[in-house]
Amino acid sequence: MAIKLLTFGQITEIIGQSESTVNAMDSDALKAQLIMQFPGLKDLQFAIAVNKYVINENTGLKDGDTVALLPPFSGG
Amino acid sequence: MIEEKKVKKVFVNGPISPVFVGESIAKHSTKQDIGAHSIFLGQVRNDIIDGNAVLAIDYSAYNEMAEEKFHEIREDAFQKYSLTCMHIYHSLGRVEAGEIGLFVFTSSIHREDAMEACAYIVERIKEQAPVWGREVFDDGRHVWKQNNFKETQ
Repeated sequence: MAIKLLTFGQITEIIGQSESTVNAMDSDALKAQLIMQFPGLKDLQFAIAVNKYVINENTGLKDGDTVALLPPFSGG
Repeated sequence: MIEEKKVKKVFVNGPISPVFVGESIAKHSTKQDIGAHSIFLGQVRNDIIDGNAVLAIDYSAYNEMAEEKFHEIREDAFQKYSLTCMHIYHSLGRVEAGEIGLFVFTSSIHREDAMEACAYIVERIKEQAPVWGREVFDDGRHVWKQNNFKETQ
């Protein structure tokens, strides 16, 4: 299951790249996996978007989905 | 009105120039049913953080999602308020302190709609647009800005 992972802002600085491919069944599993790999993410507040929609609960992922990690917005 | 609702390009590279703002106003002189314009200009502020001044903000975005979000905000504002037209421009890349990074321009027959819609759009952008500002200091360091916003409906 290939998921496209996009990161932005401070999260890209922690992960070291803005785009990568990951494998995970659902958003909670992905989050846990990333926090284990990049402990710096643990203390960061971020939202998760699946295919450009911000999710509020654990969401199943399928091949080809795009998951984005969104730190607090600061446009304007 | 239909013409105003199609997906419009919001992002511009670098700062929004005062000349561009002036020209945008001038373009509306032919729309003579308009009785009020409301304009919001977001300017980069030279905040002092831990003794260092912010020189510039470097803006980045999740472009595809942001364009959709701007479109949704535009549609919602047209639903909620009686507007003749609406324009939103947001900078990407580096904007120096004192320069403009956000330009929201609403026009209506009477002032209430233009003024309220303009405030509504600005709050929605601050709260919901996936855009990030990296504040660059005079000593070369940076921090990631965080917005304060009022909850909008």
